[in-house]
Amino acid sequence: MIELQHVTKIYPTSPRPALDDVSMQIDKGEFVFLIGSSGSGKSTFLRLLLKEDNPTKGVVKVNDKNLGTMSKWQVPKLRRTMGCVFQDFRLLRNKTVAENVAFALEVINKPQRTIKRVVPEVLEMVGLEGKENRLPNELSGGEQQRVAIARAFVNRPLVLLADEPTGNLDPETSQDIMLLLERINRTGTTVVMATHDYHIVDSMRRRVIELNDGVVSRDQSRGVYGVGR
Amino acid sequence: MRVNFVLSEVAAGLRRNLTMTVAMILTTGISLGLMGTGLLIANMIGDMREIYYDKVQVSIYLTDDVSDPQRDAIAAALEGSPEVRNYIYESKAEAYERFTQQFQEQPALIANTPEDALPESFRVELVNPERYEVIAQEFPVGENGVEDVRDEGDFLDRLFSLLNGARNATIAVAVVQALASLLLISNSIQLAAFNRRNETNIMRLVGASRWYTQLPFILEAALAGLIGAGLAIGGLVLTKVLFVDKTLAGPIKAGIIPPVDWSAIAAISPIIAAAGVGLASVAAYVTLRLYVRL
Ligand SMILES: Nc1ncnc2c1ncn2[C@@H]1O[C@H](COP(=O)(O)OP(=O)(O)OP(=O)(O)O)[C@@H](O)[C@H]1O
Ligand SMILES: [Mg+2]
Repeated sequence: MIELQHVTKIYPTSPRPALDDVSMQIDKGEFVFLIGSSGSGKSTFLRLLLKEDNPTKGVVKVNDKNLGTMSKWQVPKLRRTMGCVFQDFRLLRNKTVAENVAFALEVINKPQRTIKRVVPEVLEMVGLEGKENRLPNELSGGEQQRVAIARAFVNRPLVLLADEPTGNLDPETSQDIMLLLERINRTGTTVVMATHDYHIVDSMRRRVIELNDGVVSRDQSRGVYGVGR
Repeated sequence: MRVNFVLSEVAAGLRRNLTMTVAMILTTGISLGLMGTGLLIANMIGDMREIYYDKVQVSIYLTDDVSDPQRDAIAAALEGSPEVRNYIYESKAEAYERFTQQFQEQPALIANTPEDALPESFRVELVNPERYEVIAQEFPVGENGVEDVRDEGDFLDRLFSLLNGARNATIAVAVVQALASLLLISNSIQLAAFNRRNETNIMRLVGASRWYTQLPFILEAALAGLIGAGLAIGGLVLTKVLFVDKTLAGPIKAGIIPPVDWSAIAAISPIIAAAGVGLASVAAYVTLRLYVRL
């Protein structure tokens, strides 16, 4: 599903590699926490999976496709099989909840009929029924993140990448978001989530990959956030 | 592709930085207007060549005391010369008549000119207009009743080099203006892309194709180019109606300057429109490729 072979990423402006000879494999349907201190390379890892950036060395494969040999025009196709969610939600402020979700389908040319059908479905799934016509600034942070998750999931991606999705939310709301991500994971979608939230990691007991200055320092199935915590 | 979606993006983009859009449209319009003017002058030069060059290239002026046999000999020589395509004889009376016509607006000049002041002449059209020398040698000045042999083409050459210069200068200014408008287009596309980076980032992440992301920007530039072309064509029409047809009415009637026909403007309008839309779209496309990550 996702495979990295000796991946190194060096940004031109910094001498220290953001990722240093990272190899790993993530299987279909897994739920993986990516942890590590600030600057350890978590976001860089996710960016490489989206082919937002290319590795300096090594091979990245997603859905058995080698991203290094993939041509530019194939990248949109790759991204249609992946959803992503960020700490800052990234919603369009001038569009309603339903329009935000529909936007993701419109720009990949889904027929209007399909859009009319699946948008209410997915909004109901994330618990936003009745709020379809609100603007993002009329929603709480948790609700905005639900919209972002709905947008990421509406296209039924194989992989969902989440970069600190609960970073701006209180513990209770975070818990709700995690339940949602778990539910999405149960539909067979692989979830990779970068986080600093040890409560969540400790309570969920899923696979944990820890990065330390760009190096994988721990890879545990059913892991916890920190040893001795 | 959802047409409504793309069009609303275009309209929103143009409205969002209105000053930039206006500047972009105006420079494009001026540049295209000058280009059109250059093309019209080029057309006009072509027409004038037909009016002038094809008629007279060499004039042979005769002395006042030329004899009939001398005149007949010159006519016979012209008739037999392989260099000569055509010639006409103009008597003193005919020359005076042409003179009075040409200067009908200056009666004082006509009143001060005696009827027999103008020499009689042969007006000669050559097979090859450059062969003036041959004729000049055949009819040496001061012999056999020949007063002077003049290369009218020489004067025309100077006139046309002046007109060509005007055309080239217009086109040069048009090119400089076009450069300015290309830079403005590039700049406003970068601005537009920056303003809409939220949308385009999301489009990129959900897998919108490059075309889908870029098209609104390119259409925006193309539309500005088209409006600019409209302005340019409007400017040319106004110039014809308000300047050429009014101020130059006299010389046009006298056949000195060819008129600017509606058909000429109609002929260059599509060129101007195509140039406006084409240049703007290409500038936008190149800008997106080089400077903007979509
Ligand atoms: N665009 C960039 N140009 C240069 N250096 C970068 C860039 N992005 C990240 N880095 C560097 O790469 C390293 C890893 O950054 P990354 O964003 O992957 O860390 P992170 O684990 O996501 O951190 P955080 O937990 O704070 O989000 C850092 O040292 C960072 O300074
Ligand atoms: Mg990060």
